[in-house]
Amino acid sequence: MAASQDVVPIGSMIPLTGPSAADGAEFRKGMILAVEELNARGGLLGRPIRPIFADTCRQTAEEVVGAARWLIEKHQVHAIVNGYNIGPQNSEYEPIADAGIIYVHANTLLQHHDTVMSDPERYFGCFMADPADYWYGPGFIKFISWLRDSGQWTPNSDRLAIISGSKPYSIVIANAMAAAAADFGWRLCFGPKIVQTPTSQWRDVLDEVRATNPAVIANTHFYAGDLAHFQRQFSEKPMDCIVYLQYGAMHRTFTDIAQEAAVGVIVSSVIGLLRDEMGKRFEARYNARFGEGSTATIGCQSYSNMHHYAVAAAMAGGSGPPGDFEQNRKVAFALKGMIYRSVHGTIRYHPDWQAVVPYPVVTHDPSLGMPHIFYQIQDFRKPLSMIAPEPYNTERFVYPPWMSGRGTAVRPAAPGNPRGLTGL
Amino acid sequence: MAETDAAADPDGRLAAIWAGLDVAPNGILVWGDDRRLLYVNDRFRKTCDLPASVGMTYDAFVSAMARSHECFLPCEPEEWEREEIADFGVEKQRDYLFATGAVMQVTHAPSRLGGMTVTFTDVTAIKRNETALQLAKEAAEATDEAKSRFLRAANHDLRQPLASLKILIYNCIREPIEEHRSDMLHAMGVAVSIMEDLLGALLQIGQLDAGRIQPRITSFQLSQLFERLDIQFRHQAEEKALRLKFVAPRGTIATDRALLERILSNFVANAIRFTEVGGVVVGCRREGKSLRIEVVDTGRGVRPEDRERVFDEFYRATEERRMQKSGLGLGLNIVKRLAELLEHPVRLRSELGKGSIFSVTVPLGNIWHSEAGREVEISEAVAGEFVGTPVILVEDDDILRETMTQLLRRWGIDVHAAADESEAIRLVEGGVTPQLIVADYNLKTRTGVDVVEGVRQAIGAATPAMIVTADAEPRVLEGIRAAGLPVLVKPVSPPRLRVLMHNLLFEPSLTKLSGR
Repeated sequence: MAASQDVVPIGSMIPLTGPSAADGAEFRKGMILAVEELNARGGLLGRPIRPIFADTCRQTAEEVVGAARWLIEKHQVHAIVNGYNIGPQNSEYEPIADAGIIYVHANTLLQHHDTVMSDPERYFGCFMADPADYWYGPGFIKFISWLRDSGQWTPNSDRLAIISGSKPYSIVIANAMAAAAADFGWRLCFGPKIVQTPTSQWRDVLDEVRATNPAVIANTHFYAGDLAHFQRQFSEKPMDCIVYLQYGAMHRTFTDIAQEAAVGVIVSSVIGLLRDEMGKRFEARYNARFGEGSTATIGCQSYSNMHHYAVAAAMAGGSGPPGDFEQNRKVAFALKGMIYRSVHGTIRYHPDWQAVVPYPVVTHDPSLGMPHIFYQIQDFRKPLSMIAPEPYNTERFVYPPWMSGRGTAVRPAAPGNPRGLTGL
Repeated sequence: MAETDAAADPDGRLAAIWAGLDVAPNGILVWGDDRRLLYVNDRFRKTCDLPASVGMTYDAFVSAMARSHECFLPCEPEEWEREEIADFGVEKQRDYLFATGAVMQVTHAPSRLGGMTVTFTDVTAIKRNETALQLAKEAAEATDEAKSRFLRAANHDLRQPLASLKILIYNCIREPIEEHRSDMLHAMGVAVSIMEDLLGALLQIGQLDAGRIQPRITSFQLSQLFERLDIQFRHQAEEKALRLKFVAPRGTIATDRALLERILSNFVANAIRFTEVGGVVVGCRREGKSLRIEVVDTGRGVRPEDRERVFDEFYRATEERRMQKSGLGLGLNIVKRLAELLEHPVRLRSELGKGSIFSVTVPLGNIWHSEAGREVEISEAVAGEFVGTPVILVEDDDILRETMTQLLRRWGIDVHAAADESEAIRLVEGGVTPQLIVADYNLKTRTGVDVVEGVRQAIGAATPAMIVTADAEPRVLEGIRAAGLPVLVKPVSPPRLRVLMHNLLFEPSLTKLSGR
């Protein structure tokens, strides 16, 4: 009994099965690596940390709430730390708030802001360790405008087509893109049209889009497999436009299915492993521990969240089991006050939202926000090229192979500007 | 003075005096009648990097100070040295600026035994304050002068509408014909609005002169500003049958948004005022790392000799004065002052009888730093998935209806609340086309299921709907589900409501899963 009291149980709600199982496996690895590293250095103030995983399957509200209850009631976890679960729509906050424990996730949902701000006392322990989905919208519009205004790409028109998946995440992003477009000189020529997802059938909607002759197509659905089919069907009869696919196209599954058709696609993530020294060392450790087929850029989310939580709990003098509101409030205070540079950029919680602030869309200071990273698939066998934003980018945009009359040639960079970026 | 021996100072009183003088706020040098240094305190050594040792002659000290380059001398070193040596024992005071930036006041005080005490007092802070005060006084005098000149001019311009107003009031009192009176009242309104504009402009200039306007530089998209100007001036241009066109620019600029808007609105207002035929085009040109924003009109143009003066206070072309135009002659002066504040070049090109181009050049900004959208604080009310979705809510309990409405509004929903079926149907008849119906089950006369049916008939479509009920009786719930409607039991959990609403609106195939 004494031995088990010494252990700090930390829950993690992860889709180990179901459509997001690939991400779930990485979230699990990230937790394991973080806990192993922490325990090797003495755990949480001398107490070893034990991760307990709960499978959230298809990530519905029932499954995620059930997982939270199981972790709290059966395992008396002091905190729940994980990656994302799309679907519970914050309903899991209720059992967590009732228990007064800490919850750190990367759900990327605007609703988090509203829920926390509706009752900050009750939801004191709920933290979203990545920026809200909404920020993808203005971030994307700025990105394509930057490509245009810096001369890296000459669009054939100002027309923008937006296709949305049917999840709240996709709808919020699509609406946010549409709302920001006009201010930056873009005209919405199609959508946002909500397509019932999941689906692998995109030809009808692609035909509709084709009739509007856009310079940019954005698809805010986020399942890797579905997006791969989208891209293959786009390639059957390509348009002279930039193709942006939401998040899922970062996955290996996407390139595995889309193959050559993937080359040229733009994808972004408001949370992703950086390619600096810190990021590279992490990736090496991660691959050494779990094998070369692992995806450190996904696993880094739960990894960083766990490390950040452990530092905060140590600062607060320890963690608290369910019911120990007083101790967990101290942990929450430490989490909120500490600017933490993780392997995927800065975790800094907004004092009211209790969510991470994105860079460069909200803060213009890279030391105070998590970078919204834009990638381009330039070789489907190789890792994605990180093309924005400064100072984290490592490559530059190239014309997608399907663009008419412009070939695949890389445009010459401006003199003294080897990465082809402005403002250097 | 450490060498003061115990015999000369048996009770240590002298040593205590020396110690006390060492920490005095001034550097102190005491010279004997033989012009030799008797005493130097610690403060002097710490504050002045000048050689001074007990026993040295005054002449040697002055000579060393003259050659030290430690302080600025009022004349050539040799001359200064001669004067100082000659003035031994003469009472005098002078300020020296030292190389460290400190100002020292050096005071000579002859002693009654034929010697002299020289003190070095740091007056740097006092001098700095004096200088600042002097500058402030000069600035205040200059502002005062400018204000007086300005008020004299303003007084003149304010008198004209006031005089008209007096005459109009006098005539209006006696005017028996309603129509004429109404004309006069209109003219009075115009006179008052001229005075209002003038006072507003005076206030702006006053603030600018007082340095109270601090620019706040941000990066933003010029198109947002053009949109506002378009709304502001479209009507005025239409009244004069002028074409007003804004060529939507691309690109980010870095300046103070509000101040640039004032500059451009002055340009556009002038362009419309002085153009009778044709139109006004607002567009941009890139110039290196800047963007030149031009307001081009087809108006009467500005004479070459007037091109500088149009930016002066109360300047108006002579014919304009004759024609009694409503212009105040302050707009371009405000532009000039704002542009100086922002350091944006302003230019005027013009051809008499053909038109003018007024332009302001602003630096380009970093697009990544550009303020995105209009909302700084985002929330579901402005950016959530339900924003703008029309929903009819039927609930007979006033308090519940109110709290539910608030919750839904927080999510950006366009809520149309009704207390009963007939009120809901009236909403539909009044033009509301809901995408979703949320009905309470236990309404006073009918059940929620009946109400949904009634409202759907009024709409003429099977609009998605859901029932909320406080009655958790399994039979009741079964009944509602049998009618094909999903149901939530009160008190309704906001996340559950959100999930169900999402599914009904966007993923109907999932309704069966989450409706229970």
